This record gives sequence, structure tokens and C-alpha cells, in this order.
Amino acid sequence: MIVQAFAFYLFAGILTVSALMVITARNPVHSVLFLVLAFFNAAGLFVMLGAEFIALILVIVYVGAVAVLFLFVVMMLDINFSDMRKGAMQYVPIGMVIGAVLLTELVMLYGTWQFVPGREQNIADPVAAFAGQNNTEALGQLIYTNYIFAFQTAGLILFVAMIGAIVLTHRTRAGVRKQAVSDQQARNPADVLEIQKITPKTGV
Amino acid sequence: MIDFNLVPLLPELFLAMAAMGLLIVGVAHGNSVTPVICWACAAALVVASFLLFGMSWEKQIVLNGMFVFDNFAGFMKLLIILGLITTLALSVKYLEQERISRFEYPVLIVLAGIGMMMMVSASNLLALYMGLELQSLSLYVLAAFNRNSLRSAEAGIKYFVLGALSSGMLLFGISLIYGFTGSIDFGVIRGALEGLEAIPFGVTFGLVFILAGLAFKISAVPFHMWTPDVYQGAPTCVTALFAIVPKVAAIGLLMRLLYEPFLPVHDQWMQIIYFVSLGSMVLGAFAAIAQANIKRLLAYSSIGNMGYALIGIVVGTPEGAGAVVLYILIYMVMTAGVFAIVLGMRRDGIAAEDISDLSGLSKTNPIQAYAMAIFMFSMSGIPPLAGFFGKLFIFQAAVSAEFYVLATLGIMTSVVAAYYYLKIIKVMFFDESIEAFDKDIPFARRVVLFVAVAFLLVFVIRPEAIVESAQNAAAVLFT
Amino acid sequence: MIELWNTYGIWTAWTLLYIVLIVGGVMFSVAYLTYAERKVLGGMQRRQGPMTVGPFGLLQPIADGIKLFSKETIIPSQAHRVVFLLAPMMLFALSLVAWAVIPFDKGWVLANINVGILYLFAISSMGVYGIIMAGWASNSRYAFLGGLRSASQMVSYEVSMGLIIVCVLLCTGSLNMQEIVLAPRPIWMQVLLFPMFIVFLVSILAETNRTPFDLPEGESEITGGFMVEYSAMTYALFFLGEYANMILMSAMAVILFLGGWLPLPLLGFLTFVPGIVWFALKTAGVLFFFLWSRATLPRFRYDQLMRLGWKIFLPLTLAWVVIVSGTLLSLDALPGQKEKANLLAPVERSVESLIEGGEEILRAIESVGDEIVGDEAVDEE
Repeated sequence: MIVQAFAFYLFAGILTVSALMVITARNPVHSVLFLVLAFFNAAGLFVMLGAEFIALILVIVYVGAVAVLFLFVVMMLDINFSDMRKGAMQYVPIGMVIGAVLLTELVMLYGTWQFVPGREQNIADPVAAFAGQNNTEALGQLIYTNYIFAFQTAGLILFVAMIGAIVLTHRTRAGVRKQAVSDQQARNPADVLEIQKITPKTGV
Repeated sequence: MIDFNLVPLLPELFLAMAAMGLLIVGVAHGNSVTPVICWACAAALVVASFLLFGMSWEKQIVLNGMFVFDNFAGFMKLLIILGLITTLALSVKYLEQERISRFEYPVLIVLAGIGMMMMVSASNLLALYMGLELQSLSLYVLAAFNRNSLRSAEAGIKYFVLGALSSGMLLFGISLIYGFTGSIDFGVIRGALEGLEAIPFGVTFGLVFILAGLAFKISAVPFHMWTPDVYQGAPTCVTALFAIVPKVAAIGLLMRLLYEPFLPVHDQWMQIIYFVSLGSMVLGAFAAIAQANIKRLLAYSSIGNMGYALIGIVVGTPEGAGAVVLYILIYMVMTAGVFAIVLGMRRDGIAAEDISDLSGLSKTNPIQAYAMAIFMFSMSGIPPLAGFFGKLFIFQAAVSAEFYVLATLGIMTSVVAAYYYLKIIKVMFFDESIEAFDKDIPFARRVVLFVAVAFLLVFVIRPEAIVESAQNAAAVLFT
Repeated sequence: MIELWNTYGIWTAWTLLYIVLIVGGVMFSVAYLTYAERKVLGGMQRRQGPMTVGPFGLLQPIADGIKLFSKETIIPSQAHRVVFLLAPMMLFALSLVAWAVIPFDKGWVLANINVGILYLFAISSMGVYGIIMAGWASNSRYAFLGGLRSASQMVSYEVSMGLIIVCVLLCTGSLNMQEIVLAPRPIWMQVLLFPMFIVFLVSILAETNRTPFDLPEGESEITGGFMVEYSAMTYALFFLGEYANMILMSAMAVILFLGGWLPLPLLGFLTFVPGIVWFALKTAGVLFFFLWSRATLPRFRYDQLMRLGWKIFLPLTLAWVVIVSGTLLSLDALPGQKEKANLLAPVERSVESLIEGGEEILRAIESVGDEIVGDEAVDEE
């Protein structure tokens, strides 16, 4: 148990600190790198919960793809973020007030939290049916049965996101020469080459 | 064993297939086929409405309690489809005139429509959220559709950021409700809330956050800030879409949510909706007075109108609910008509958006001026036009449930609102006429204009037919 | 305290021993992979390769190592110091931690976790950070270009690699590395997966930045790319990391497609040979492919590389996922499927319900139509 507790506080501590660093680091590239660290520790927490599939998907998708693209964009853009932040100071008081309100709410909630009587019957516990299977299999079986509607809708949402990204960013520029591989392959030597017999001292 | 009965989803499934198929056609043929795809999408929507008509409208809950189809869902879906077809009909020519005629536009509209139809059919907080996101994401893209215009991009970003914030609040609220009841299913939540003696903080806070998230989507005060900027910045045909359709879906969603799972805590949400409604009416009436841009004016007008619709929800009786459905229907028709005229406001191929541009329209184009006058009279609630009946039923329901303050304030704000509606009529009929608008009004727009005017005028002859079906639809929520 | 020792201490000690063994083995292999590379390249270009240090030049890698150790590490004055030093360490560490889930023989694995292949994939997808950080922290244009190229290249090829892995997983039904090796593979399945093996081989070339996809380094265009500012030990770490990654990717190919530690088909009588020997031999075979392609193929141009990844491999692998799953379904050969069950039953049920619903709707529309026609008929009368 000591080891588990140690691992938990390690992951949770680094997660919190790196999340803080994401918003306080001066250099945006450092921010993204701390974000990656935060993702990684979140994955560690998932592993401790026994959700290893989700943990590794988090690493693959967020660390391996999403954050790389973030980093890519942040590195390419030449934006001075500290200049952008100058004006933001005037909003800090408002932010503090809202944050304080939310914090009070959370504290109140935590202090007075109660569950509905008979909550145990309400809880959909689909995992119980899959005791003894690892969570990858259980997830797969649930997604395609009980939650098929939500799963397919999520697919549609991603589809819209894809269309949106293409609509808003794809431009066909004039005057760009692209390699048309099929055209190259289809070229026939007979059509484009002419072999001439050149007799000496006459020229073409 | 889970049932895979997909029949209640037929219209959505069909539309999803159609959207994907038409997208492929678009990719293959490029932007030159946009009008064809627009009309094909409209045809697909017509087919979907046939499917809706043909389906059994008995209450059915399928797919693990995620999707419900009943009289209410059917009626709201018909309204949504009607609104989408109208928007498509209004858009085709405008897209070409603004040179943003891209084939993704109709496809995105259909996908947003699927999201809206899922919203009114949600029977589970997860399904609710998914439908809402599908709709919102499509609308974010549409708001920024004219990507060469700085204003359109700004509208898209603004809408996206605030929409994402509101989704976050909605999710937080959902998590609190789930934490308390242990379920996301509407039926189970209702069962859990029914037996309560004292309402715990968790439920109240959860409800507040969910309502805040949804108030963003229907642009009700105090979450209305995005509306004028987005309405003004987005391409006008997209503004028409924003004004006409998503409101129907969001109001339908709100009604199902409040009348089904949260009816037992009626006194909790009633206060919230009460003040939201009040605020929307007052702000919609007073802020619109100072507007010079007609799209901004319509934004404030839609905020005000949502305020009136919310009165019917506050009441919490079947009559109130029926009045809301009817109000939304009439609002939709009026807005569609107004936008048919606003979309035609062009001089020398450049869109004119100011109210002063309408000066003397009665001399340069009397038909449009009279149609606009009818819409404005109807919006300000002057009998015997349909807009009057919409408000009448709402206030009746409020009075019969003894919400006198709300009803009185509603009447007072609609008098204030009448000022700026009538101001437009004054500009059209009594101001110096300026250069005429371009004459080429496409056939589809004329049809929309004609149907809207006809509906508003004829409604008084046999109101029962529509009123009854609206009330039947809403009554299902209370059984 | 003694309890704590009994529960954790012994286990820790054993694990440490395994780790030392694995790391030592990998480092040894890396050293002689560089030797093999130079010999193979030499052979293919009709020269001898290293031959002066020790017999047949066998001590050459050690000499190289000593040289790199004894040089001075130079950190450019404009570099972002921390990130600059972190980058090679990260790349090197990642190329080593991945070995934790590789089964060298039946049961010879440090961590037998049930999502092994995902772990491997996750670790290999993180490798890009070392490169992109190095490229950025060097504060040099060539290095930056190299970093950008590498980031986009690795992300592009990871997508199709993921889909290839899905194809294999569909056939094996487990994410555990040992079970992937042990899953039965009839001939038709091998044939079905063969095209994916080819695509996988090409993808791992791109994933490890090897010729013909070595644009991030590109000696002749960007003078070494992200490594241009590195020297001595920091450079050596990149070097070791890259070669360790090559071996890792080869081992992955062996596990996914070539049967891991099992003897090759038709050579079943050789079961007395220890599994680790088979494993090493197969890995060496795939590594030879790396060296071979380096010796023979010219470098791709950047747009060609992107085109290959997004426009050819991605659609191909995506289609192949559908083909593989369709074949498995139709042959009732899904892994873990006990009896011949109609797995499509839910789909059939929903299609049936849709057809019934459609007929009902048609009937309803017809009846409405009849009514209208009937009304008109009455009107006409």
C-alpha cells in the first residue's frame, strides 16, 4: 500500500505542478512541454485506477499526436505571448471573483454532499457483467451494445470537425505545381521522345 | 439483451447517409454543384419529413434508454426540418452572390439538423450532450463560413469559445446530477428526485449549471452576449439559420429536460427560468432600440422572443407548454419571412445591412415593403396576425397559472418592442426613398416570402388546427 | 521493515537485474549493429568496411564509443540549455523503456501487461519529442527544419502504423505481446496480413528516420538536421537512441508478423533451438532490410513522403482493416469465438426492424395518397 500511495502522490503532485506551469511558463514551448508532462501523469493515474487501456490511449492520442501538433504550431508561430498577456491583467480581479464563487460553491457542495437514497439501484454498473475480462474487452463490448448511440454520434461529431477543418483552412492556391504521379506513370516514351538520327556534319 | 430497434431513428439515419453521400458528390464535382447539392439536401429533408409522418408516433424509448420518440419529438422534428428547408431555400442565391458557394454548406446544415433532431429526442444526459455538440460544432463552422471576412471569422471564434464554455458548464452540471442520483437516464433521475423531501445543494447547483449551459444556446439573458456579434458577423444566410432553427431544438430540449426529469424540482428551476425570461424580455426590448444594423436588431429581437417563450415554460402546465410550441412555430415563420427580405437587401451586388437602407422601400418595391410591414406588425403582436396569437396563448397560460407579474411585464416589454418594429415600418413608408435594391429575387425566396405572409394572414381563420396539434404534442411531456 | 523487504525488496532486486540484463543486451546489439551497418554497406559498395581495430575490425564500435566519451560536450550559447540537454536523454530513455514489454522467449518478459502493444505504440509515438525538442532548443535553422520535418513525418506514419496494428489485433484478439505471438495463424491469415507487413516495414523506416525517409537528418541538405549542434556524449545518446529504436521496431515487426520466438514454419524440427535465438535471428533479418534499403535507395522528397503517408498508406491500411474484419466475420474466425455464432445477429435484427419500419411508412404514405386520390375522385364526381 505504501508504494501505491507513494505513486499516487507522485503522479498527482507532478500533474498539479505541471498544470500550473502550463499557464505560468513564460515560453509557450515550455508550456506545451509541461502540458505533455501533465498528460503523462494523468495517464499514470489512470493506470493506478486499473484503466490501463484509457491510460495508453491518452498517451497515444494526446501526447503522441495532439500535443505534437500543438508544439508544431507554437514553434512555427512567432507570437510574443508575454506581450499578449499584458492586457490580461485587468481581468484578473473578475477572474478571481468568479474563481472564488466557484470555489465556495465547491466547498459548500463538498460539505453538504448527500446521495439520493437507493442510489445503488440507479447506478448502471455495466462493468459487473464483465468480471474477469480485461478492460479493453469490456470497453469494446459495451461501446458496441449499450452505448452504440453515443459512440456513433461521437463519430458524426468528429466527421463534422473534419469537414469544418477542411472548409475553414483548405485553400487551392493558383500557380502551385504539384507532382501528378499518375500522369508521370502514364507518360509514354513514344509520345514525348523523338529519336533522331544525326548524321555527322549536318546538325539537326 | 439490448434492443437494436432503429425505426425511431429512421429520419436521422437517412439524413446522415444523405449528408455523407452528398458530400462525396461534392468532393467529386467541386463547388460548381453547390446549388444542386443544396436542393438535394432539401429533398433529403423532405424525404425525412415523409419518414416522420409515416412513423408510429407512439412513445418509444430505444437504444438502452438513450433515444425517445414521441408526439412531442415528432412535432419538433417537423418544425426543425421545415426550418432547415427554408434556410436552404433562402441560402442558395445568397451564397453565390457572396461568392461563398461551397458544397460543404448544405451538408453542414443537414448535419446540424441531425444534431438538433437528436437533441429533441434525447432521453439521457449523455445523448443530450452528444446531440448538442453535433449541432453546435456544425454551427461554429457555419458562423465562420465566409472565411475571407474578418467579421465572419470573429463571429465563428466568439461563438466557438463561448459555446465551449457553456458546454463545460453543462457538463459540470450533468456531473453533479449524476453524482447525486447515480444515473444519467431521464426516467431514473425523475424517480430519484420524486421521493425527496428537501432538495440538496448538489441538485440545485447541478440544475443551475445545466440551465446556464442551455441558456447560452438559446441566447437568453444573462448569457446573450455573443448573439449580436455573431448574428452580425456571420453570413446573412447563416444568421437566418441561427435565428430560425437552433432555437426550436434548444427550446424543445429545455422543455423535455425540465418537464421530464426535473419536474419534481419545479420550484427550483422555476425561479431561474423566471428571471432569465424576465431579463431576456427587458433586454431584448430596450437594447434593440438603439440598433442601426438590422441583423443586430434581429439578434436582440430573438433574445426578447426567447424571453416570451420561456414564460410558457415557467408556467409548468400543459397549456403553457403548448403555448411555447405554438409560439416557436409562429416565431419561426415570422423570422424566415424577415430574413427573406433582409437577404434581398443588396445594392449593386453589395449587401446593405442598415435599417436606414430600407428608407422609402414602399416606393421602390412596394410588395416587399408591405410584406415586411406584415412581419413587423406580427412580431409586435398586433391582431389579427399570427404573432398576436402566439403571445396571447403565452400570456393566457401565465395568467391562468397566476404569474401576473410575468404576464404584465411581458405585455409591457412587447409594447416597448413594438416601438422599434414600427420604426422600421416608418422608415420604409415615410422616409425619403433612396436607390432601389437589386431586382433579381430568386424564385425560392419569393416562395418563402409568400408562404410566410400567407401563414401570418390566414392563421386567424382556423387557428384551432395548429393550436391543437401543438398542444397535443406538448401534452405528451406531462403524461 | 523486514516485511517491506520481503514484499518489495526481493522483487525490486530481481527487476533491477532483469533491467540491467536487457539494457546491457540492447547496448551490445546497438554497438554491433553499427559495425554490421558499416560492413554491410561496405560489402554492397565493394569495399571492406572497418577492419583495422581488432580482428576483422570487431573492436571498432568500442573505439568509437571511447572517442565520443572523451570529447567535450559543447552547448551553443544561444541554446535553451535545459531543453537542449533533456532532448537526447529523453530520446535515449524512451528507446530503452519500450523494451520492458518485449517477450524474448515464452515468459521472458519484464512486464507482461495486457496492453503491451499499446504501450509499445505509445512509447514509440513519444520518440518524436526528443527530436522536436532538440530541433527547437538548438536555436539553429537547420536543426529547427530537421525538427519540424521529423514531427510531421512521424505523426503521419504513426496513423497508418496504428491501423496496421489494428489489423493484427483483429486476428489475434489480444493486446498482450505474448498472446499475439502465440495466437494461431492459419495460412490464409498470413496471406491476408502480408500486405500489411510490407506497409509496416516501410512505415518503420519512416518512423525511425532511416533512408529513404531520413529527411530530418538529411546530411546533404540540412547537414544533419536536429543533431547539427550536438557533440560528444549528447550526440552519442541520439545515436544510441536511434539504433536502439531500429532494433526495437524490428523486434516489433517480428512479434507482430513473424511469430516472435517461434521457429519459422517448415523448420518445426528445430524447436530445440532456444526461442531467444530465433527471436534474435528474425530481428537481425529485419535489421538487414534497414541496412539494405540504406545502401540502395535515394532519399524521398518531402512532398513525396507526405503523399505516400497520407494518400497511399492511410487509405490502404484503413481499407485493409475493413477487409480483415470482414474476412474474419465471414469465416467465423474471430479470435475468442467459441462456437459458430451469428455475430451479425444484432445488425440483422436492426436491419429487419428498419425494413419493417420502412414498409409501415410506405403503407402509411400510400393510405394517405389513397385518401387524397379518393377525395379528388369524389370531387370529380
